Amino acid sequence: MKDIFTDLYNKVLGFFRQTEKNQEEESTKDVACNRLKFVLMQDRTNLTPELMDRMRKELVELLSKYVEMDKEALELGFEQEGNQMALMLSIPVLRAKDEAEIEATLAKEDEEKAKLEENKEAEPDEASDDTAEVITDADNSIADETDETDTDETEEEISAVSDADETVSKSDAVVTKPVSKTASKTETEDKKVKAVK
Amino acid sequence: MTALVEEKKVEIEKGDIMSGRVIVVTSGKGGVGKTTTNANIGTALARAGKKVVMIDTDLGLRNLDLLLGLENRIVYTIVDVVEERCKLKQALVKDKKNPNLCLLAAAQTRDKTAVTEEQLKDICEQLKKDFDFILVDCPAGIEQGFQNAIAGASEAIVVTTPEMSAVRDADRIIGLLEAKEEIKSYKLLVNRVRPNMIKTNDMMSVEDVSEILSTPILGIIPEDAGIITSTNKGEPIVNDEKSLAGQAYANVARRILGEDVPFLNLEEDTSVMGKVKKFFSGLLGKEK
Repeated sequence: MKDIFTDLYNKVLGFFRQTEKNQEEESTKDVACNRLKFVLMQDRTNLTPELMDRMRKELVELLSKYVEMDKEALELGFEQEGNQMALMLSIPVLRAKDEAEIEATLAKEDEEKAKLEENKEAEPDEASDDTAEVITDADNSIADETDETDTDETEEEISAVSDADETVSKSDAVVTKPVSKTASKTETEDKKVKAVK
Repeated sequence: MTALVEEKKVEIEKGDIMSGRVIVVTSGKGGVGKTTTNANIGTALARAGKKVVMIDTDLGLRNLDLLLGLENRIVYTIVDVVEERCKLKQALVKDKKNPNLCLLAAAQTRDKTAVTEEQLKDICEQLKKDFDFILVDCPAGIEQGFQNAIAGASEAIVVTTPEMSAVRDADRIIGLLEAKEEIKSYKLLVNRVRPNMIKTNDMMSVEDVSEILSTPILGIIPEDAGIITSTNKGEPIVNDEKSLAGQAYANVARRILGEDVPFLNLEEDTSVMGKVKKFFSGLLGKEK
């Protein structure tokens, strides 16, 4: 008998609490907002998922020279911040490379570059730095086409991380991004890219 | 006399020389309420004593005449004007109920190529001399019809609803407006808002829409069955002062005139069921 009443009470309660329940799960409104934000970024930047993927790969290639990171967990996406659109890059760092390692990689690269230059003297500066340039160039060209009132500069904020000597576990890196010593965030702030269309 | 002085003031503030404001009402997506918005804002501005002319640029699919109840009085259309079969003034249909209001109708038998951007611009320039407001009703889409409609305008109202497809299309339109130098300002009118659905998180809020499009809000119009009945009668809902949508449109017109009018409170659930639910949920919440 008691059970029946408890059951009934819960049911009644459930009915009136329906709205609250919805808030716990992701509401259809949030789904709509997120899907819309995603699709609008594509519309505005003219970057298809394939191009985003390529950009991601190129960034991984470039950044791997300086830090050892979790390539799979690298997150890349656009975010709207008020009037500005930001390209957010979040990279879980597994381990910082020591100076010798970095220098070795760079030296090797310089060698390759030199070789390349020997081969085709007409086109200097071809190798690795290119990746970065391609990306910033693209950003600037987008900005150039938009309002002149806005700044065309591309701000880059790379907050490299302290205590990087420590090797930290992968999962740790992903979950505790802001607090842990492992997360590194590259923010490329760009202006509104609306007028591209 | 005072009206004249006021007008002069506005002109000086705006830095324009002897001219009315050309505002295009546009949306990208069809069916979100461009024409309804046009009819209501125009009527409200005229009721406020401004001289208003509306131009229907939706050639082949004209409807503004129906919403204003002027469908039987159209003799000449915008195509007759550009093809010089009549003078511009002859083609303006005056609303008998509101002598401040005129309509330049679209041709129903022609397509969007019958009028060019230059011709529309020219018509707007001519009308600027005689009217305070020129409201241009834009066809759906982003093709030539849209380009024509925005040709003479310096301000734009982007109509959207809190639905994904409408917001996406509005974003396209905003991109195009931004690229157009002549458009000095554009604002958002969010139509067909359902406060109850927003409350339960089943519909994007007006703030969400404004944030996603990073565009300021000019007006919020609630979903209202009265829109349909007023269209049936050919009388804009803004004439019905009891209607919530009508009040909302009247407020939009006041904002266009420079007044600082707060947005209507649509949040309150005034239905009986809503009140009962609120009462009980409050009660049960306390018990726990």
